[in-house]
Amino acid sequence: MTALHIADTGLFVAMGQPSNTRFQAVERFAHRNEITFQLPERVYGELTTDETTGSTPPVDAAIEAGWASIAAPLNFSNPIVSRVMDGVQRYIANVDDRPADEVEQADGALAALAAQHLSAGAVNDVYIYTTDVAAGEGAETILDAEGYGDAVTFVDGFRFLEDLISASG
Amino acid sequence: MSRTSKQADGDIVRDFLSVADLLEEPQLAQLYAYLAREDGTTVQDVMTDLELAQGTAYTYVNRLVDAGVVEITRDEQPRRYAAREIDLTVSTADGEYTITPALVDAVGRRETDGDIDTYIDRHGIAGLATALTYAVARARGETTHRLMARDLDISPLAAEIVLQALRPVVDEHFDVEASGGSLEDVTDEDTTNDA
Repeated sequence: MTALHIADTGLFVAMGQPSNTRFQAVERFAHRNEITFQLPERVYGELTTDETTGSTPPVDAAIEAGWASIAAPLNFSNPIVSRVMDGVQRYIANVDDRPADEVEQADGALAALAAQHLSAGAVNDVYIYTTDVAAGEGAETILDAEGYGDAVTFVDGFRFLEDLISASG
Repeated sequence: MSRTSKQADGDIVRDFLSVADLLEEPQLAQLYAYLAREDGTTVQDVMTDLELAQGTAYTYVNRLVDAGVVEITRDEQPRRYAAREIDLTVSTADGEYTITPALVDAVGRRETDGDIDTYIDRHGIAGLATALTYAVARARGETTHRLMARDLDISPLAAEIVLQALRPVVDEHFDVEASGGSLEDVTDEDTTNDA
């Protein structure tokens, strides 16, 4: 059994800086379970392009330490990848009551990355760590419709961190 | 924030000015939020829980009582105090927003939360009020940080940071159901990663 762990922007924001106990707890968890969090390119871009916010999230520190990496580009010529991307954008547009073309591609990129790996048979299980409930539930819903319902888990980034801290405390 | 003219009179004007003061003085906002949370507290409780000196605690509580946003719920010593509901719409150059206990709580946190402080500096109280509505919708799975960023023309990272800073306020004042899996859903499985 192999698993893919996909992280969204909110997980890295919520960890705080490397001196923070939350960051350290995730690092220990990743090392202990031999996990490398995969970041869609758009997520990495969000985390690193705005320098006006004061403190930059510690994504590069995690990449250097080997427990995070930037995912390979999405292959949109694979029909399921573009289908899942569109599906999640429509799902989010629906819950937010707005046109689908206003939904950012990064929201669908988490699920599209999962679809790319699942359809290639490269992984059996995918965990999507996000603080956007709509993106997480959208990914589960759309991938379920593609027959991957049992393989995909949306992990709430906040609850994940809270549980890690209380487990280590 | 606009101020009402001097010839205007009456309770509405008094409330308006007092609520405006609340938002301009984070310590008062913090105290109001505390009194809203703890129903019927004494000045002694305020001193202990908010770590205020006796003189400061009495001054702040009396200002909130004079302003009409806090009431005395027991007049015998030790007196007990409770927050009154606030629900007031204010017009500013940046648009209209409604002052609620949740917003006052959020503003009070700028003293201890640098991310909320920075956001108010950049977008004003009206901007924070808007961010709070997104924070509630996001927690309920009705929008994402990216849609907020798009609507408000800020970066997705800036949106995520203020949404996370406001999360304790959302938890305190709004009903939100937990969703998604947590740690045990990850560790139940073999988590070997080779992708």
